[in-house]
Amino acid sequence: MPLLDKYPAPLTAKAAEHLLRRTMFGASRADIAALTGRTIDQALDTLLRDQTAPAPPIDPTTGQTWVNDIIRSQNDGQLNNHMKSWWVGLMANQPISIMEKMTLFWHNHFASQWSVVNESRYMYKQHQTLRRNALGNFRTFVREIAIDPAMLRYLNGNRNVAGAPQENFARELQELFTIGKGPEISQGNYTTYTEDDVKAAARVLTGWTDINTSVTSSFRAAQHDTGNKQFSAAYQNTVIMGRTGANAGLDELNDLLNMIFRQNATSEYIVSKFYRFFVNSNITPTITNEVIKPLAKIFRDGNYEIKPVLRALFGSIHFFDNNIIGCMIKTPLDLTVGTVRQLQVRMPAATQAVFYYGFMRQLQGLSAQLQQDLLELPNVAGWQAYYQEPLFYQVWINTATMPARANYSNVVTNGWSVTDQASNQTQRYTFDSIAFLQQFPNPEDPIKVIDNLTQHFFAIDLTEAQKDQLLDKVLLPGLPEYEWTKEWSDFMATPNDTMKRNQIKTKLDNLVRYMMRLAEFQIN
Amino acid sequence: MERRDFIRGATAVTLPLALSGYSAKAMGLSPLLESLAVASAAADRYLVLIQLAGGNDGINTVIPLDQMSEYNRIRGNIALPENRVLKLNNATGLHPSMVGMKSLFDAGNLAVIQGVAYPNSNFSHFRSTDIWMSGADFNEYLSTGWAGRYLDSQFPNYPVGYPSTEMPDPLAIQISASPSLTLKGTNAPMGVNVQDPAAFLRLVQGSAVEGFDTAPNNDAGRQIAYIRQIQGQSETYASVIKNAYDKAKNLATYTPMGINSLADQLAIVARLIAGGLKTRVYLVTLGGFDTHALQVSLTDRTLGTHATLLARVSEGISSFQQDLKLNRIDNKVVGMTFSEFGRRPGSNISSGTDHGTSAPVFVFGSAIRGGVLNSNPSLTNLNGGNLQMQTDFRQVYASILKQWFATDNTEYRAILGKDYNTLPLIRTASTSANDTQTVMNATTLQLQNYPNPVSSTTTIEYVLPASSNVRLTIFDGLGSVITSLEEQQSSGMHRVAFNAESLAAGTYLYRLQTERGVASGKMIVAR
Repeated sequence: MPLLDKYPAPLTAKAAEHLLRRTMFGASRADIAALTGRTIDQALDTLLRDQTAPAPPIDPTTGQTWVNDIIRSQNDGQLNNHMKSWWVGLMANQPISIMEKMTLFWHNHFASQWSVVNESRYMYKQHQTLRRNALGNFRTFVREIAIDPAMLRYLNGNRNVAGAPQENFARELQELFTIGKGPEISQGNYTTYTEDDVKAAARVLTGWTDINTSVTSSFRAAQHDTGNKQFSAAYQNTVIMGRTGANAGLDELNDLLNMIFRQNATSEYIVSKFYRFFVNSNITPTITNEVIKPLAKIFRDGNYEIKPVLRALFGSIHFFDNNIIGCMIKTPLDLTVGTVRQLQVRMPAATQAVFYYGFMRQLQGLSAQLQQDLLELPNVAGWQAYYQEPLFYQVWINTATMPARANYSNVVTNGWSVTDQASNQTQRYTFDSIAFLQQFPNPEDPIKVIDNLTQHFFAIDLTEAQKDQLLDKVLLPGLPEYEWTKEWSDFMATPNDTMKRNQIKTKLDNLVRYMMRLAEFQIN
Repeated sequence: MERRDFIRGATAVTLPLALSGYSAKAMGLSPLLESLAVASAAADRYLVLIQLAGGNDGINTVIPLDQMSEYNRIRGNIALPENRVLKLNNATGLHPSMVGMKSLFDAGNLAVIQGVAYPNSNFSHFRSTDIWMSGADFNEYLSTGWAGRYLDSQFPNYPVGYPSTEMPDPLAIQISASPSLTLKGTNAPMGVNVQDPAAFLRLVQGSAVEGFDTAPNNDAGRQIAYIRQIQGQSETYASVIKNAYDKAKNLATYTPMGINSLADQLAIVARLIAGGLKTRVYLVTLGGFDTHALQVSLTDRTLGTHATLLARVSEGISSFQQDLKLNRIDNKVVGMTFSEFGRRPGSNISSGTDHGTSAPVFVFGSAIRGGVLNSNPSLTNLNGGNLQMQTDFRQVYASILKQWFATDNTEYRAILGKDYNTLPLIRTASTSANDTQTVMNATTLQLQNYPNPVSSTTTIEYVLPASSNVRLTIFDGLGSVITSLEEQQSSGMHRVAFNAESLAAGTYLYRLQTERGVASGKMIVAR
């Protein structure tokens, strides 16, 4: 059966969970319930629906936004932190939608770094562009990114002028953002483009700069190289006609993108990036022929609309193949934000801005410690997990990050403290393991407790032997099973009895901590 | 921003030759070999990096006594009184709170490198820190750290295959929670982050129980197996760290726990090294150097924020050095400080200083050549109100890589990309033939060994034209160090006996390094 054939059956809870884990951060009980029993098309209608743009980030200490300021703040580093918190808050509170994961995909694709761009207003403007185009048209998207003020700064497009071309953006546009670099078949010839094409593209892109007060871009016709630009055989020896005047920059940019988007390699490269980000790092020849190439054709035939490709990919029987389920490693954000969502941790409301931003900052801080910082990609190639052969996702896991991942089990079960420095007030946010368990049937039956929790915790099914271990060695070490039933009934009889409650909670938290430390918890 | 990929050259040959039953005593003839066989190989040399985060005010750390009128003019509100400055020589002195480091200097165990910076300043903390940690050019963005690349060159393919018999310990240890770019290698951070060895062990222990050693035979199963492997590795590292920590003691007195976080971190490092860890690189950090306002006390300029910070640095480092000495491992350890930038020579109206450019770097240890390198930075010949760079920060790295870690040319290139002039930082002659030394031929030193071929014991003989610190190293055919000796020797003929009985048959190289140059010879071991 062709791998891209549509997944035929209504979604089981397990299939819904897989789809949610990959397209969102973690899967809550409610999310899973909402998609279970639906057809894949119905589920994707929900996931791929356009979303309204969120309200902008604020400075939580003042409650005011800063995105429309006309100068750089003296405390831009703080604003950068606020924006990170804001973004993590959107992830943690996402509706059933691919939007947050997709925005992150594009952040990785059109990588950027606050430390280079050096301004939060610019980062926010770029972020809006990522969000606006996340499920839109890829060609339009690239055109906007090419003259995005943050990108002009990040890859020096604002210093690219006639007579002294700056090749940085022209190179990455081809190598990383659109067509991708093929094998170097001769000196300076990368199959899909050549060094001379980098030079020619740089000349096409001369004249753009960013305007600091408005955080916009501007084309300066006088700085534009008006000569004809000759491209190599990789681009069918295309000549982009030099233009003059105010529209020269956009006109030539359109010509350049049309030339790049005429090449099949462009759609294949982008589809491969979707595949590695959402499905599996392992692209075999079979996957190339039966998944990547047909999806690339859908991409081209649909004039580079993004949704049809995602619909075909996530709706395919291949996506639900047993080998695909659990084959990724949780990114730091999957782990931090995903777990909070999955376990329905009580989080501060957005209206309590200081606490809300403070809480999200803790999730973001741990993600950064685990090597996935927002607004600060390692470099323009993005996170290594998506390109570093042969490790790929395994890059996230090492002796520096693994202990910190293990420690997250303690964080979750102990809860978070957030302090408002101004009022010196501290709020605690906790995971209520008892309330969590009560959502599942038969909480009094320890075998069902293990069955239900393991099914919700792990991307793959545990073996019976593993579940027995969790029951006998972790939940009830050295105790007969009926002890759980008895303690649970006692507690239910007097639910306000703190001691009884704690007896149950200690055991449950210990189980949760233990499960979070299993290797199985780290896969997605 | 520009990217540059470090293309690693031919994988460094670092297969250590396991010498079964080798012991220095077996050689019998030279007491020198006996004492030094354990101490001198590159594999037994450790580097401690001390990050002073925030941008340390170099001018109030190392005071240019030869320019005091200009000094007082441009930073009058924070200027230290000349008579309180701890004089290193007529031109240069240390901040009054750096008493411990002054003693280190007097003992010849401290080098002060003046005017260290990177070309083309960037006054952003983030960016400058990245530049220092990665070793990048100002317009170059590297996602690996310089020490990480060093470790990459020595331990190819890490983390696959580690811990190993040859390297049972973490490659690097950072006493902090968040992995630093400095230690980032191509595939991964090259070390572990430990704040408290006992807590660290508890943290990583018990992630695996019975029943959790199987995994499905598919891509998910392969990921699980990999994660378990790293969990096991973390656990192994945690126990070797804990064991080393428990095995050794701090023999020097440090500032009491909880007051000086740098001293706390260095005390852990000292115990880990003394406990026998083969971990090559340690990284510790002290923050708070971003002294924009009130860096001195208004009532006494020798006190205040900056003075407290420098006292912590000085007390931490001097206690650490003392600890190493008392543990008899001071020959194995070199430390260096770094900060993302110095501060402007002119102070601001808030009795503070703003982001600047170059600053002094301290290198310390019993193996280093003490003294002040370079003249003081000029307070008048400024560049936009900032100090001129006198030393590229990568010259310091290059010197450490070549002189302390004895990297060969291929390794060195993979780490720093290009050549930088080295500074005479390490007291003994370098073990690297690529360093900026005269290469002498064997006849000059009349270096030879007899008998050759050798089956049991041979004598290595040479003549020194003048007294010199010498280092004699024996390598196997793959370039691994078998043993070495180093000491100060007088002029004239010297003979060193070497017992080759435990070596496999083959060709071996011996190299004599003196202050005047290097010579080498070959010996054949026949069976």
